[in-house]
Amino acid sequence: MKKKVLAALLSAAMVATLLSGCGSKAEEPAAPAETEAPAETEAPAEAEEPAEAPAADAGSMSFEIVSKGLQHQYWQAVLQGVNNKAQELGVTVNFVGPDSESNIDQQVQQLQSALNANPTAIGLAALDTNSVMDLLQQAKDGGIPVVGFDSGVPNAPEGSVLANCATDNYAAGEMAAEKVYEAVKDRIDGTVRIGVVAQDATSESVVNRGLGFIDKFAELAVADGHTATVIGNDRYISDSKCEKTEGANVVLDVRVPAQVTSELSAADATALMNESDTIAIYGSNEHSANAIITANENLSKCGTGEGQIVAAGFDSGAAQKQAVKDGVLLGSITQAPVKMGEILVETLYAAATGGTVSDTDTGCQWYTAENIDDPDIAPNLYD
Amino acid sequence: MRQRLGIRGDETMTDKKQGNAFTNNPIVRAIGVQKIVVVIVLIAMILFFSAMSPAFRQYSTLLSIMDYTYYLAFLGIGVTFCLITGGVDLSIGTGMFCYALIGGYLINYVHTPVIVGILATVACGLIAGTINGLIVSKGGHAPFLATLCMMMILRGLGALVTGGASITWPGATAPNGWTRTLFKMDMGGTKVPLGFLWVLILAVVMSIFLNRSRPGRYIIAIGSNKEATRLSGVNVAVYQTLAYIISGLFTGLAALAYSSAFQSMTPGGGGGIELNAIGGAIIGGTSMSGGAGTIAGTILGVFIMSVLQTGLPLIGIQANFQQIIIGIVLIVAVYIDVLKNKKLA
Repeated sequence: MKKKVLAALLSAAMVATLLSGCGSKAEEPAAPAETEAPAETEAPAEAEEPAEAPAADAGSMSFEIVSKGLQHQYWQAVLQGVNNKAQELGVTVNFVGPDSESNIDQQVQQLQSALNANPTAIGLAALDTNSVMDLLQQAKDGGIPVVGFDSGVPNAPEGSVLANCATDNYAAGEMAAEKVYEAVKDRIDGTVRIGVVAQDATSESVVNRGLGFIDKFAELAVADGHTATVIGNDRYISDSKCEKTEGANVVLDVRVPAQVTSELSAADATALMNESDTIAIYGSNEHSANAIITANENLSKCGTGEGQIVAAGFDSGAAQKQAVKDGVLLGSITQAPVKMGEILVETLYAAATGGTVSDTDTGCQWYTAENIDDPDIAPNLYD
Repeated sequence: MRQRLGIRGDETMTDKKQGNAFTNNPIVRAIGVQKIVVVIVLIAMILFFSAMSPAFRQYSTLLSIMDYTYYLAFLGIGVTFCLITGGVDLSIGTGMFCYALIGGYLINYVHTPVIVGILATVACGLIAGTINGLIVSKGGHAPFLATLCMMMILRGLGALVTGGASITWPGATAPNGWTRTLFKMDMGGTKVPLGFLWVLILAVVMSIFLNRSRPGRYIIAIGSNKEATRLSGVNVAVYQTLAYIISGLFTGLAALAYSSAFQSMTPGGGGGIELNAIGGAIIGGTSMSGGAGTIAGTILGVFIMSVLQTGLPLIGIQANFQQIIIGIVLIVAVYIDVLKNKKLA
């Protein structure tokens, strides 16, 4: 009997943990919901903006923006940009998002509500293009322009989405290559290895950030009279535009783990940093940058001094920001979510006023220990 | 010491065999043939990697090996108890990630003190382990199936709690990063793998528990002959459950070791790591069919796995080949176990 009671108690405890797990999730959107409020009340505040004089009917314009969620600081930064620009243009914006990036149904409902509100234009970062197909058609039939942002609306039917405002990951990777090359170009003497730690070879954003880096670095090296080649992961080797030269003196070595777990990526980073000819290493997202930081805890090789390895990261996060401040990473690339929000509202505005709209790169920034706290960079970094 | 670290399992293995001069040597018999072989293989592997890669000969490689050893050793110690009962716990890899995600979520997003996150991590392990044990002992489910289901549950739970985001535990230089110094201490610029001390202490304690305590002996007895154990008046369900509780507890500790060494984890990850731990236990002489196994053997076996994980990337083996090599090593280890059982029969 006693044992049955014990068993019941333990099961109850587990259920309680499960529920409290769900509970904390359910409560969470409450906080972002508050930040939503100002957006809605941001009616034509400063309609007399001189630079971009809004059309006469700006005050009657309302944009519905459906994001992928609100809990992450990244989206809070997008919201900040949206609010900035909405205030400037004097338009009303309603910014919503599901509780998590797996709540596809919730996002579909939010898009439905957005359509029902009959807004001037809609901004959408779709979790799943297939599930919003009918609604996109409905928007098209109703003459409501739709603009994609962040990852946009991949594979949307022709004509249903007017433009996308997103980070050009390839260009962002190129920027990292320029910065790293600048730091190591005088040390390219004999054969040198540039390590690339990539999380996977399947996700388009990760692959493009890697390829952008590889192609640009090779291009810069070749322009300086060196020869370059790519080794390691097959996808990166075959998709790279780099002209592979036998016996090249700049070797770009790409390592991809068999599974996305920290211990495997840390092993990749450790192996790359242990090669005696490695002079630089690049991690193409937060996961990979963290792997470099973890590996460096044992190796203490990262830095810009003589014989040290120049390391660069991508995205932010507590560990990465700290590593940039500590000088473990020379710097890191961040997307510009604040600017993304601003450009999104601008594009929606242009679409609503019948202007021509096109896909826009919302840009990225290189942050270092020096500029990490600058007002135009800090809002784009999150923990 | 070796003798105390649990020979019982190996003795029953070797006693019935018609040995040769080597296996009949009293010292060899005391330590166990398999453990001696594992040590020889381990030394051979270290020599091989050292010859192939100058980087392997550095002190930092020892630190890397230790980073892999901590969490695998904890997982290995825990799962050894399940294996000895004739069961298995497949939820430990995913579980380790799930508990670390929950603990890290509390620290990062609920802003609880770090100690609360640590206790929650271990508590989650205990709860899941207890449920595993009850499903197996009371529910009569096949251990592999019960714990496989638990693996699915924990995978979902981890993603649910964190909202699908990956979690990063506080860094070593962060204000509340003191947990990391429990495993790796900085002494005047030199990193000391302090965690190995905890692994050793817990290995000795659990070894004594397994071989010298009544519950430990019952656990071995259940694996040798469950029916006979039940008929001799032992409450089999209680001790079978206990084995899974121990596995859960040590998975919780492994979660702490993992977050200390590698800092971040992704929801839904960790699947497959249980095989490295189970493989370590089997290489160390724990029988898949139950009734035999030692903690010392498991620790040695785990070292084989962690040296492989550190050494293979260093000699330039690509990720997918590493997985294949580790898979083949495990098949060979299980085959040796099968051969041993055939000899016994």
